[in-house]
Amino acid sequence: MEVILMRKLLGANDQLAKKNREYFNKRNILAVNLMGSPGSGKSTLISAVAKKLPGIRIGVIEGDISSSIDAERMEREGLPSTQINTGGECHLDAQVIRQGAEKLNLENAIVFIENVGNLICPAEFDLGESVRLLAASVPEGDDKPFKYVPMFSYIDAVALTKCDLADAVGFDKRHFLKGLRAVSKAPVFEVSLKQGAAEHGADAVADWLKEKYEAFQES
Amino acid sequence: MHELPVVLDILRVMNEEAEKRGFRKITRINLVIGELSSIVDECVQMYFDVAAKGSICSGAKLTFEHRPAILRCQKCGREFPHNRSFSCPVCGGDSVLVKGTGREFYIRSFEGH
Repeated sequence: MEVILMRKLLGANDQLAKKNREYFNKRNILAVNLMGSPGSGKSTLISAVAKKLPGIRIGVIEGDISSSIDAERMEREGLPSTQINTGGECHLDAQVIRQGAEKLNLENAIVFIENVGNLICPAEFDLGESVRLLAASVPEGDDKPFKYVPMFSYIDAVALTKCDLADAVGFDKRHFLKGLRAVSKAPVFEVSLKQGAAEHGADAVADWLKEKYEAFQES
Repeated sequence: MHELPVVLDILRVMNEEAEKRGFRKITRINLVIGELSSIVDECVQMYFDVAAKGSICSGAKLTFEHRPAILRCQKCGREFPHNRSFSCPVCGGDSVLVKGTGREFYIRSFEGH
């Protein structure tokens, strides 16, 4: 006997994500799901953007398959942080985020959730965040929006990182934007944060987040 | 790459449904998967075969119905299946993804007794 069901898969995660969203709302936390490839500059972006947001409390939930290198780095920079080790899982899910958020125990804050470095799986898991930010680095190539459609269609903004390398690696911004614009209206912020060189673009990302945070408080 | 959580979700839903209907055996589960949902059929079946052992789903066959992502040309308005260049095959114009297409990800039906 065939039974018609029409039941969405991974629905359990969506239910937990909904609860996380209520938790973040109640505590007045703007949760930012920061995604990107390994080495795209996610941690560096958090550090630089946090410095441009004086007067706003910042927290970080760090996701990695193992190690606490990133959380230790955040603590060194004075940012309260908590580490989630996924034990090999390629993404964070709503359940581990709740645990991380409770450990972090903040209110009235912007909390960055640094997802596992991966352009595929994190796009399938709602964490209950308010904002989805992608760190896409120039050396990864201008064809990435064409190849990772779910990720590029899932996001609210792109930090195009390591822009100082564009000429060196032959990055065609027009091609990148053609792919991105097919799937998303997300604004693109050009960023370069090389140590010891002139820093560029972190303030634009910070302004955008500040705007989101203020709109979030009023809602 | 996240086939295991998908498989565990299928098993959870099937256990629930079987109990509700008094089924003792699930023989087939029919899935609808958009081409942009990043999972591989063979991997899902492989994880499923292992994870379902000893459950009411043991030995059940999974079927996969694939749905394409659709692009719409911004110049001529034509809709076409997602291609690698995102360019209209007729006029060469740039395109936009038709929202929701290619992202289907659900259990359409199941068979059992």
